[in-house]
Order: sequence, then C-alpha cells, then structure tokens
Amino acid sequence: MLMRKLVSVVDDDESVRESLPDLLRSYGFEVQPFSSAEQFLASASLPLTRCLVLDIAMPGMSGPELQLELTRRRQDIPIVFITARTDEAWPARVLQRGAVACLLKPFSEGAILEAVNSAFDRR
Amino acid sequence: MDADLGRLVDALPGLMWTATPDGGAEILGRGWLEYAGVKAEDAPQPGWQQAIHPDDAPSLLAKWSAILKSGRAGEMTARLRRFDGAYRWFLLRASPMTDDLGNVVRWCGINIDIEDRVQAEEAVHERDRHFRSIFDGLPALVTLTSPTGALELANRHVLDFYGVSLDALRSQEAGASFHPDDLPSAAAAWARVQATGAPYDLEARKRRADGVHRWMRLQGFPLHDSRGEVVNWYFLQTDINDAKQAEQKLAAEKSLLEMVARGVPLQEVMEALCRQVEALAPGSYCSILLVNPDGETFSVGAGPSLPGSYNAVLHGKTIDPSYGPCSLAVAIRAPVITADLAKDPRWASSIWPALMAEYGLRSCWSMPIFSMGQEVLGIFAIYRREPNGPTADEQELIDRFAKLAGISIERAQADAALQAGEAEIRQAHSFLAEAQRLSQTGSFIWDVAADDHDWSRELRRIFEFDPAVKVTTPMILGGIHPEDMPAVEALMGAAAQGGDAFDLVFRMTTASGARKHVRVVGHRIEEITDRPVFIGALQDVTRSKLAEEALDRARAELAHVTRAMTLSALTASIAHEVNQPLAGIITNASTCLRLLAADPLNLDGARAAAQRIIRDGNRASEVIQRLRALFTRQHAEVTPVDLNEAAGEVVSLSLSELQRKGVLARTDFAQDLPPVHGDKVQLQQVVLNLVLNGADAMSAIYDRPRDLLITTRCDDGRVRLSVRDAGVGVDPNALEKLFDAFFTTKTDGMGIGLSISRSIIESHEGRLWAAANDGPGATFSFTLPAIFSTQTAETSALGPYMAGVRPVVRQA
Repeated sequence: MLMRKLVSVVDDDESVRESLPDLLRSYGFEVQPFSSAEQFLASASLPLTRCLVLDIAMPGMSGPELQLELTRRRQDIPIVFITARTDEAWPARVLQRGAVACLLKPFSEGAILEAVNSAFDRR
Repeated sequence: MDADLGRLVDALPGLMWTATPDGGAEILGRGWLEYAGVKAEDAPQPGWQQAIHPDDAPSLLAKWSAILKSGRAGEMTARLRRFDGAYRWFLLRASPMTDDLGNVVRWCGINIDIEDRVQAEEAVHERDRHFRSIFDGLPALVTLTSPTGALELANRHVLDFYGVSLDALRSQEAGASFHPDDLPSAAAAWARVQATGAPYDLEARKRRADGVHRWMRLQGFPLHDSRGEVVNWYFLQTDINDAKQAEQKLAAEKSLLEMVARGVPLQEVMEALCRQVEALAPGSYCSILLVNPDGETFSVGAGPSLPGSYNAVLHGKTIDPSYGPCSLAVAIRAPVITADLAKDPRWASSIWPALMAEYGLRSCWSMPIFSMGQEVLGIFAIYRREPNGPTADEQELIDRFAKLAGISIERAQADAALQAGEAEIRQAHSFLAEAQRLSQTGSFIWDVAADDHDWSRELRRIFEFDPAVKVTTPMILGGIHPEDMPAVEALMGAAAQGGDAFDLVFRMTTASGARKHVRVVGHRIEEITDRPVFIGALQDVTRSKLAEEALDRARAELAHVTRAMTLSALTASIAHEVNQPLAGIITNASTCLRLLAADPLNLDGARAAAQRIIRDGNRASEVIQRLRALFTRQHAEVTPVDLNEAAGEVVSLSLSELQRKGVLARTDFAQDLPPVHGDKVQLQQVVLNLVLNGADAMSAIYDRPRDLLITTRCDDGRVRLSVRDAGVGVDPNALEKLFDAFFTTKTDGMGIGLSISRSIIESHEGRLWAAANDGPGATFSFTLPAIFSTQTAETSALGPYMAGVRPVVRQA
C-alpha cells in the first residue's frame, strides 16, 4: 500500500533532496531521494516508483536523458521535471515527450503538490 | 797704189786690215801683225784665221760669209790670240770699198779690242746669276713688286707654291690667291702701309697649288732710292699653317676648358667643341653621342652641323655593333674608321649607309670618349662628304678633342652628382625639419658645462621660444610643472655628473599657457670625451598622453562592457545559482509550516526545516554578494588576494554554466599558495574569462570529454594560474594575435576578453600567455608576483593603467 505511493526525487542539489521529500511526506507520499540519474536507475526503487520528480541539469546523465532511457526501457513512470534554469527549451521538449509537468525552481508548495497528484491521477 | 795703201794701213792706229772682195786677207796692218806677233810675209792668205779662238771661229766665219754676201758693212765678235798666246775679245768691223759701178773692190776692216768691256759685262752677268740663285735658294716665298704692288719678280718657291709660271702670276688679279675671308684684312693692311710707308705684316690664308688654303705670314719691306722714294717692295711669305693650326687648336682647347671650368652646361660645351673641330678640320661634320646610363642606348650630345633629322634618328638608338661605327666603337672600345661607307663590308647589311647617303655623307670616323676610369662615356664622330680616312693631323685633332669631350662629360657628371648630393642634403634637411614638425619632435645638443643649448626649430616651437633668443637652463626650467621639477633637476644633475643617458616624461606650461606633456631622451656624445655633451630629442607627447588617458578610460569602459556581456552570458547560470537555494527555502518553509500545523505537532521536523531555510538563505545571499562584487564594482582596490579562493569562487559561480555546456571542470590548487597583490574582482574576471573561453573552445567537441582543469602553482616567486581545456586548440602562429582586441576565433564573441584580461594582468605586473597543449586543446596561464611574509601588504604594485614620471639615468 505504501509502496503504491512511492515518489522518487532525483536532483544533484542537496537543498532539494533535503527539503522536497519532507514536504511530500507531510502529504503522505512515500519519498526516496537520489543524487543522480545513474543512482536511481541502479536502485530497487525504480520499478516501485509511481512518480518521478526529476531535475533537468545534472552532472552525468541529465533529466531528459533519464526520461529517454526510461522510455527505452518501457518504464512508464510519470515524470515531474524541476529546473532552476530559465533560459532553455527543455521544459517544452520534455512535456512533448510526455512529462506530467515542468516546474521552474523555486516552485510553490501548491504547484509541486498539484503536479505530483496529477502524476498519480495519470496512472 | 798698193804700197801707198799698205803704208796707209800700217800708219793707221789700231788693228787695220783689208780684204779682197771674195773675203781673202789682203793687207794686215802693222798693228794687227804686232798684236798677233807675226811678220807680213809669215801671214799667208788664211793665216789670220789662225788667230781666231777655235770656239769662236765657226760663228765668226759664218758671219763673215754673210757680210760678204750682203756686200754691206757688218760686225763680228770673236776672241783673237795675242802674240803671247792670250785671247782677247775683239769687235771686227768690215766695210766694203766700191768702184763707180758700185762693185765691191775691197773690204776694209778694223779690229777693236773689247776685252775690257766683255770682261765687265761678264762680271755683271755673273752677279746676276748669283743673285738669282740666292733669290731662288731662299727658304721662303719672296716676291718683288713695283711701288704699287705689281709683281715683278717671284722666286722659285713662290712659283712652286702657287703652281703657276711667273707670267701667269703677274697677270693674276691682286688678291686672287687670298682666302676670300682674309681679303678685307689684306686690303686694309696694304692701304695702311701705302699711307704710312711702314713695313707690311699680315697673317692670312692663301690658296696653295693643291687648292688648300694655308695660313701665311706676309711681310713686306719697301726699297728706297737715294731720294727716299719707294722703288720696290720685297715680300716675304712664310707658311705658318702648322703653327697657326696648333695655336688655333690650343685656343680652341683653352676656350673649351674655360667653358668646362666655368660650369657652362654640357650641351653648350659639346656644341662649341663640335664647331671648333669643324673649324679646324674644314669639311667635317662633328657629332657627340653619349652612352646612356643603361649602357644600351645613345643619346645625342651635340651635332650642330648635322641635319636635325639625322640627330633625331640617333637619339635613343640602341647600341648595336652591327648597325654602324659608333655602336661598334663602343663595343670594341677603339676608334672605328669608315673611310668610304659605300664600300665598307661591315655595314653591308645595315640600313645605316643608306641613311648616311640620304644626307650626302660618305665617311664616318668614330672615336670612343673615355672617362678617367677608362669607361666609354660616348662617341666623338666626324662625318665627311668625301670618302676618305683621317689624315695624321685630323687623327691627332680627333684624339685631342675626344679627350676634351671626356673631360667635359665627366665634369658635367660630377657636377650633376654634386648637385644631386646637395639637393639630397637639402631635401634630407627639409625632410628632417618636416619630420620634426610632423612628429612634434625637436632635437638638441646640450653642452652641460657650458650651459649651451643648440635647439632645432621644432624644439623651440614646442617650448614657444623665440628662434633668435639663446636658450638657457633657467628658461627651460621656467615652464616645468612643479611636481615634475625634482625629476627634471635630477636628470640635469645626473647628466652633469657622469650620466650617459636619460629618458623622462614631464609636464610643462608654455608662455602662452599651453600645458604639454613632453618626453625627452638623450645620450652623451661618445666622441666628445673631455666634457659631457648630450644629443637628444624631445617629443611633444601631449596628444598621445591624452589619447592614452582616453584609451585607459575606453579600456575601463570596455572592461565594464565585457563584464556586462559576461553577466548576460551568465544570467542563466546566476539564475540557477540563486533559484537552487530559493527552491530549498520555499520548500523548507512550506514543510516547516506543514509540520507546525500537523497534529501531532512535529517541532523537530519544523526546526530542521527552518534551519535549512537559513542555510539556503545564506547560500543565496553568498551568490548575490559574489555577483555584486564581480559585476558592479569598477574601481581597482589592491589587496592581498588568495588566488585559490578567488578562482574557487569563479568556478562555483560558473559551475552550472559549465555543466550546461557539458564541461567537466576540475581544480588542482596548490597548497600554501602565497597571496598576490591585486584587485580580487579584476583577477576573478580574468579567471572567469579564461574558464568561459575554455568551455567555449570545447563546445564542438563530441569525441572526448570536455575536461577543463584549473591549476594554481607557485614557482620562482610567482604565482601561476592555468586553465587547460581539451578544445579545438589554438594555431601556434596566432598565439599572440589572440590577445589583440577584436581578434576572435568565436563566431559570437567580440574578442575583447583576452585583450582586456592581458591588460589587467599586465597592470598587476604579471604576464598572460597561451600555449598549445601536447594533446588536444590549449592552456592559458598567467603569473603574478607572489607576496612572501617578509613583504607587507602596503608595498602594493602600481594600479592598472597608471603612468608616472620615471627618470632613467644610467650611470656611466
């Protein structure tokens, strides 16, 4: 039952990895943070994740690359992208590829909740 | 009767005789018999004939026969032998005695002794012959004329000279043998002596038998009779042609040499030379051709008597030895004589003979004109209408005048060279003055001990000193800016005390109030050893100084623009840096609120969230501070800077940008790196510029990692920071150009970055350079002087773009 609500957060920024899980947990989600895409792909949480909160710009494999990798692996996990960069075409592109939402940091509590909830609704 | 007659004949004084009508001797008088020393009976009929000189007998007998035949009186002369054997001349006179019928019955004769008379006549004839032989033998042309000048006698030399007989000479008109040009002077001279009776003396040309006019000296002496009247003129004619010609040649040479010495233009000298030779060698046409400096063509020096069209053909003519003698003479450096061009095989295939023929010229003698250095300067040529070669005289004439031509040409060339030299010096002088004016640089010579300042016009203009006033040290010092006075005085002092060079920039105010920056450089004149004398230059650098200041301002503005551009490039990165902690703050704040509102209250969680808010807030604040420092401050602030720290901040600020560009930035900072003096922000701008450049250089690299390594090291008292990329690398030939403003290898860059970076580093007394890596990419490095503990922070380096008064006085 708990695992049904697993949200994985992948972000190289520590602030996000520390703050976002606590907030989502306060709303009853099970949250697992990862500091890189590679770490997430290698973890046991991958098949259990029902929503992925994913940073776009990361050293090594970037968020959009992970999105493509999951598609390739036919792991249909709804993704909520988050990014601190405001100057890029990525939000449009990832949405086109099926992302649930793309939030610009800093995002509001309401915005992230709505995005995560719609991810679960999609399932 | 006969006896009477006999006695009569005997009695008559003289040598009487009678003869029969047929001429036989009849009676020989006593006188006759006594003369001949014979007795009457010893004198047979033809006996008297024996007394006749054998040489005279035939003519005497012939004459006697003729007288007998004529029957009239007649005379004969013959030598008759005296009794002592001596012969004496006698006049034999015979007269017929006739009868009433007119028949000759007897011849009466008388022999008159004419020996003395004959002897006297003989003496006269002898004197006459002697005179004649002396007259003819005189080694001169002598004539004898009447008082009015009619020719009476002329000696053999005269007849030989004129080639005519005395009679022909006598019938010539007066003056016929004179050269027409000399007739007037001859007539005038004759008229003068006629009037004064003084001796006649004239030099004139007279036509010789061969038609040649020769210069003669004509001297006439009057011969007076006892009453003082002129009865004759003796004339002495001396051929002075050779002397006269030598004299004329000398005169010609002298006048030409005078022209050369006076510096008469070469053209005139050469024309005069031609005319002189033409006068000395009648019938000749002279030409001087000059070999042009190219050595391949002629130009016409002179040819005053040749047709202009012929000269025009020769002008600029290529020197072709097969064309004609002048070219050949240049080629073989020797005279070329063409006595008869129609028959000369050398020009058989040339068009030159036809050209010559057109002008009626038949011969051409070409003589090379040599310089002192035996270089062929040109050709001296003589043309004639007759086909012949030069006589010895003419050859000598040509030789001499070709030498004269050489002298005049060389003189003209030397003059031209001298004039060119003078012109060059004048030009150089005016160039120098102009250059001084244009560059606003004056020159001077300064005799320190004598306080003697020799200033150029431009230097006086810069100082606004009157050109007529003597420059003194107090005058110079009068306008110096007070702040720069110590430096100027130090310079002068050092110069007086053995310094050997100076270089100083100082400020001054002129009499008109103009403020100027000037730079003076000078060095001691080594050749003057006994006292310090300096030569130097002073330049008005006001404009460049102002321009430099303007440039500094422009550079500062550019640096700011560059910062602004960098800021714009970093906007996304900055946003990222700020948004990251902001995201944490907001999320934590939300969490905090949720936990405080939760039931049960989760205070620990809320506290942790609040602490994270503070941490993220500080983090955001730091970013902002760094940004502010990096992009807003404009004035240099020199402090000790830790390059590791400064570079670390730059790397962290640009990390996100680097990440976005797929660049893996690594740092390799030296431990215990000594600090450097400088403006931290400016140095960070340089590091940022190098880092962003390195990242850009790798933007098109896909086949290898985009590694960027930032290293710091300390060696030899200098701190070095290097940024090594693995990008496209740099062209080793363009390494220095990279630092030129506006040089860029980037399509979207302005190329200002590296130029500004270098000027920043150099203003910190550092050095910035680029080098190609052994592998791919390039490394940009700069070094700065390290500060060690013995130094204090206050001994700061000069700030950027500061220029000052820095006297350089080297000690001798």
